[in-house]
Amino acid sequence: MTMALGTTRQERVRRRALSDRAFAWILIAPAILFIAVIVAWPLVETIRLSFTNASLAGEEYVGFANYEKLFQGGKFGEIILRTFVWMFFSVSLKLVLGLIGASLLMAVVPGQALFRILIMPPWVIPIAMGCLGWLWLFNGDFGIISGVAQKIGITDGPFAFLAYKTSAFWSAIVTDAWVGTPMVTLFFLAAMQGVPRDLYEAAWVDGASRWYRFRRITIPQIMPVIVSMALMSAIWTFNSFEIIWILTQGGPRGGTTTMIIDTYKVAIANLQFGEGAARAVIIVIMLALFSLLYLWVLGRVNRKYGVK
Amino acid sequence: MTTFNRLALAGVLMGATALPALAKDVHYIMCGDERQAEKDSVAEFMAANPDIKVNLEFLPWGTCSEKAMQMAAAGDPPALAYIGSRFLKQLAKADQILPIELTPEQEAAYQPGILSTVEDGGKRWGFPHAFSNKAMFVNCDLFEQAGLECKVPETWDEMKAAATAIKEKTGVAGIGIAGKDFDNTMHMFLDFMYSNGGTVIDTVTGEVKFDDVPARETLQLYADLVPVMAEGATALERGNLQALFEDGKIGMYVTGPWGMGQHAAKNFKAGPIPHGPSGGSGSILITDSIAVFKGSGVEEEAMKLAAHLTSGKSQYGLDKEWGLPPIQKYEEQGITDLYYNAPEWQLFLATTPTGKPEPMVYNFASLQAVFTNMIQGVLLGEITDINAAVTEAAEGIKAIQ
Repeated sequence: MTMALGTTRQERVRRRALSDRAFAWILIAPAILFIAVIVAWPLVETIRLSFTNASLAGEEYVGFANYEKLFQGGKFGEIILRTFVWMFFSVSLKLVLGLIGASLLMAVVPGQALFRILIMPPWVIPIAMGCLGWLWLFNGDFGIISGVAQKIGITDGPFAFLAYKTSAFWSAIVTDAWVGTPMVTLFFLAAMQGVPRDLYEAAWVDGASRWYRFRRITIPQIMPVIVSMALMSAIWTFNSFEIIWILTQGGPRGGTTTMIIDTYKVAIANLQFGEGAARAVIIVIMLALFSLLYLWVLGRVNRKYGVK
Repeated sequence: MTTFNRLALAGVLMGATALPALAKDVHYIMCGDERQAEKDSVAEFMAANPDIKVNLEFLPWGTCSEKAMQMAAAGDPPALAYIGSRFLKQLAKADQILPIELTPEQEAAYQPGILSTVEDGGKRWGFPHAFSNKAMFVNCDLFEQAGLECKVPETWDEMKAAATAIKEKTGVAGIGIAGKDFDNTMHMFLDFMYSNGGTVIDTVTGEVKFDDVPARETLQLYADLVPVMAEGATALERGNLQALFEDGKIGMYVTGPWGMGQHAAKNFKAGPIPHGPSGGSGSILITDSIAVFKGSGVEEEAMKLAAHLTSGKSQYGLDKEWGLPPIQKYEEQGITDLYYNAPEWQLFLATTPTGKPEPMVYNFASLQAVFTNMIQGVLLGEITDINAAVTEAAEGIKAIQ
């Protein structure tokens, strides 16, 4: 009798566990379906396409031909290098400006809330609108930057910033930093607000200067956020398309062509979907490696600074 | 209510809601600003064909053709699209569009040479719907300030001398050249090259003829003009040049007949494009066409609409509103009070016979990239060996072919 009762209870527990598992699967099924349709299927399809010569006319399997073609010339290597340079400077600029901005916004001044609101527009307005504004600012004949440069004697005539490889590249970086800095600033500001006040008070009592407190208290305390923002911003910047496309379309003469712009040109403008897909796969691999790096670095930083 | 009554009511309701769906939806992609003439023609067509609902979508230049081709590639093509005739060959080869049939009357209505821009493999692949050629526009005020008589230069030497004089005496750029990653960078180069006896691809033999003296001389002309042209040419396309001309910031530039309206308030003169040492004045002849896509499910209706939009009265309305050279012989269709009888139109009417069409290739975007790369190289000072650059470009064109 006891044995029979025990078996029944075990059976009930087993059934309950099964039903819990089934319930859990039911709950996550929509998410799985969503990811499968929105992420997994396009990814698999892109990988498949990268082994074909898909174009407007149809497709045939070509093996690794698209990848071989990619790495045969030196052009793709240049584009990869340019992408990393673009990412490095753009992210660095955003981090530096974000740190400065957050520090200034921490200052207790009248109208502090207003200043915090005023940094938002670049992030809030549509990127396309912001870029069109910059397009005019960088214009040689009608742009304010060129006008001011002429007035104060830096240039002796109009200078079209987007017409030359180097200036166009830096103009795109400035625009990207303009768009991305507000978010970085807000994250840093939130992190700074979480730093215990008593640390600053103790340092102040010990005679530590402002710079010393910033360097030895603020920076270490918000380091996990800095690392997070640096790596996330790097991924976003790597994949940033609209800014360069609106400003220069990757020109002049490829001077602002990053991997994502190159992929778009090949796949969408030239309608070479197979070759474009091969480029997209390379981007996915690079971003996956970046994500792994992100998790690894973040883990180390969190351990070092005691973040759980 | 009995079961029978319920079923009957449901049937009636379902039938009523299904009625609007009986009208066939025809998606038509049109490029550029909204044109009232086109909207009126579509409205007229729908009034005459109540079973057809036309969804007319105006899209900006630069993205409209791309969108139509992307939709076709994705298996969801528009029923018909206004598209540069240069893309027809590519679309036809990819089996994405239908060949068109014209009646002898329709054929006879077009100006000579127009239908050849939509032909490939013995078939016609689009209804020509817009046509343009180019001329040189000069700013008389700047010419006079530079001590020059206001007349359009006839030769490249005269043009260079005028541009230099304007730059030196007024400080304003003598000429505006398009050099951005955009189609009219190639078009403007071809305007000058065709005005120097040049050819890209022999239309009869299909042989690439680009690596020749006229192309080299044209590229050298660009190199010579760099010091006197508008600053930052690699960031300029024709629309920017129009603004610069209107603002008195360039002495001259090449544009189409629409320039007459755009610069109506300016003191300007227009004339044939100056010619080089190896040929007479010419111009690129560009047509845009309405292509009917395969697989929309409403191909027959789309053909009918395309024929209507390109019929005499509808086509005339668009040409007139747009300010384009007449694509058809409207005087033979009984249309009176022709807008192009005005004296200023004679320049563009006279230019047509000396013009040449755009090169037809299977991948126009790649062809454009070859030209842009070569032109920008010269404008940025990265290319100094003109002969090698032209040879390299010719190889690029052959590869595309």
